[in-house]
Amino acid sequence: MVLNLNRVKGKMLPLLHYRTSCVGLLIVFGIAAIAVGATVIAPRHYAETDIVNRLRPPSLEYPFGTDVLGRGVFSRVVYGARIAIWVGLFVVFIEASVGVTLGIIAGYYGGKIDKVISAITDMVWAFPPIVLALGVVTLIGPGLNQVVMAVAFVSWPIFTRIIRAKVQSLVNREFILAARAIGESNLDIMLRYLLPNVVSSILVLATLTLPAAILSTTALSFLGFGAQPPTPDWGAMLSDGAAQLATAPWIATFPGIFIVITVLGFNLLGDGLRDLLDPRLKV
Amino acid sequence: MNTPLLDVKGLRTYFYTGRGVVKAVDGVNFIIKEDEVFCLVGETGCGKSVTALSIMRLIPYPGKILDGSMLYKGKNLLKLSESEIRKIRGREIAMIFQNPMNSLNPVFTIGYQISEAPITHFNLSRQDGWKKAVELIEKVKMPDAEVRAKTFPHVLSGGMRQRSMIAMMISCEPNLLIADEPTTSVDVTIQAQLMHLLKEIKEKRRMSIMLITHNFGLVAETGDRVAVMYCGKIVEIGSVKEIFREPMHPYTQGLLRCLPIGFERKKQLDSIPGTIPNPINPPPGCRFYPRCKYTVEKCKLQEPLQIDLGKGHLVACHLCGG
Repeated sequence: MVLNLNRVKGKMLPLLHYRTSCVGLLIVFGIAAIAVGATVIAPRHYAETDIVNRLRPPSLEYPFGTDVLGRGVFSRVVYGARIAIWVGLFVVFIEASVGVTLGIIAGYYGGKIDKVISAITDMVWAFPPIVLALGVVTLIGPGLNQVVMAVAFVSWPIFTRIIRAKVQSLVNREFILAARAIGESNLDIMLRYLLPNVVSSILVLATLTLPAAILSTTALSFLGFGAQPPTPDWGAMLSDGAAQLATAPWIATFPGIFIVITVLGFNLLGDGLRDLLDPRLKV
Repeated sequence: MNTPLLDVKGLRTYFYTGRGVVKAVDGVNFIIKEDEVFCLVGETGCGKSVTALSIMRLIPYPGKILDGSMLYKGKNLLKLSESEIRKIRGREIAMIFQNPMNSLNPVFTIGYQISEAPITHFNLSRQDGWKKAVELIEKVKMPDAEVRAKTFPHVLSGGMRQRSMIAMMISCEPNLLIADEPTTSVDVTIQAQLMHLLKEIKEKRRMSIMLITHNFGLVAETGDRVAVMYCGKIVEIGSVKEIFREPMHPYTQGLLRCLPIGFERKKQLDSIPGTIPNPINPPPGCRFYPRCKYTVEKCKLQEPLQIDLGKGHLVACHLCGG
């Protein structure tokens, strides 16, 4: 009996894990599909107002109800997926480019270069991200692009740290010495020997930092620094709906649910990818 | 034949560590002639690998080549700029490493990796580079070269990986191949095959090999000349025949006594008492005196000079008149 149970457990656990990451993948695909097909899925444009039907609860015509200006919350949430995905990808792209470049340089050269890069990384890392991002946004002004910059600016250090550590462990392997022994230049070694060896880490890190990026931009938008009206940003919609939370809870609830689902989906996918590609990586 | 391929004089490579200056290579002189197998033997930590890396100018931080000269075909390798030495690496002087498990890039196929050097040095296209790689894989006697070229290193055995490594290093037809203990991590049969392969390539290409090893068996079998290193210095150099017949330095004699001979059953193999001295604070005078059977007062005070016993047999020992 005990033996049987163990066998079942042994088979179930990896399967279960496989399932959660599958769910993550499905969610990510779903959100991506919504974002791509927003024009088809949304019954009306996100900025189209219907002042007679303002603050209506969910109905057949307005599946998620309407907001203060009579705009369909459903349409706005659907269009919001575009912004969330775009923002997430853009932030991660900037973070990864900056972070990986610095990480590889620091790890490969070591010595003084490493010390300088690590000091800068630690300095940025030491600030609470949202506070630093707020500071950056106040400096460069509000707006979605500025928020993207601000979030990317505060979150690249994690890439630098992890890639640097990875590269340090690779640099002392003999194949790097061998590469130098056949006359490869430093740039060649970094681009063609080190980078391909850290791709799996980059991929895992990217999927794991993407939801955080979405959350941070949402938070900044919620505070009013991000997307300006009528852009259907989920964070901005949350803050719009917060005022009507008692009378018209649907305005804030639906974008909130979508934020949760999206973030959860990416996290599940990221966890699965990590177990699959890079089990030793701990973020 | 008269001008040596590589002429190393007074090479000093120190490592500046937190605990002091490690004098890994401390005034080493030797030459490598064209078309010969030059062996460098010695215990672990005596500076063999550092000597090899110094020739390639690949000394890792915090190491530094202090002085000396290394004339390769009349050019001083120490005076070359970084981009000039890069053209020498791989193209003129190549190096095989000890551990084939680590010396191949795990994320690329071996064909891709072997094609890398010819592409860099001869400006070949990817396709031509690949063809060259397949040819080279055939040359190092791996079966099914086309298929092998497409495999990743982790599928290959140690011997196969070392063959790939050899293919990679001979790809640009270097004049000098430095082999740093190429066979220590493979078993004896593979060792024999690899050495055979290296000798064959050497005969065909007329290149020189600098073989670093602690295996006197390999030296006897493949070497033309041999240098014995002890604690950062070369204590004896000579032709393999000379050294095996008449080892002059007590250290060389000691090393040779440590070997089992034929089927003769000794009670216990000899060993040299003591350990290699700390290279941060080497003993004054002759570095071997604390372990030497024949130590006299002079050994402790004065460093012996290298003296020529004729026929290129050099030895640094007071007993021989140094």
